[in-house]
Amino acid sequence: MNLDMFSNIDGLVLRDSSAPFADRAETMETGTMGAMPANPSLAMAYVPYQQWGDTMEPEKALSCGTLFSDLAFPFEKGGSR
Amino acid sequence: MEPRRMLLQRIKQYDFSLKELNLYLDTHPNCRRALAMFAKYKKLRENAIAEYNEKFGPLTPEQNNDLEHWDWVDDPWPWERS
Repeated sequence: MNLDMFSNIDGLVLRDSSAPFADRAETMETGTMGAMPANPSLAMAYVPYQQWGDTMEPEKALSCGTLFSDLAFPFEKGGSR
Repeated sequence: MEPRRMLLQRIKQYDFSLKELNLYLDTHPNCRRALAMFAKYKKLRENAIAEYNEKFGPLTPEQNNDLEHWDWVDDPWPWERS
């Protein structure tokens, strides 16, 4: 993911590292990089990176709308959480 | 469900799983487990499509492999389907 497209927007403070994963290119089994990017900027909101979790079988995944159980948020009457 | 539809359903399931893994890999390009699973489902999908082609004909035009006849036109067209 190169960030050049942001280069001409003045005033947008950019981190210097070229790609968020480049410096942490752990090729560990799960390629985990933690929930936060390498050097998060202050006063910016971040969505945590997804970690490799358990996956569903293709049949169930298609009906649930996601392969990853962590991302399955079925809308249940009265709310599931 | 008749065999053709079941096979088609299986292909859709593999397609979906691959698309999910694709999205995950976009942000986790070095995740070995995701890459391994992608390879697995890619293979399964290719086999399912090959089976479909053999039994029911091409799913997409370029899957036609009959040198004497263009079997893409033999399938029931959508409006001809029962």
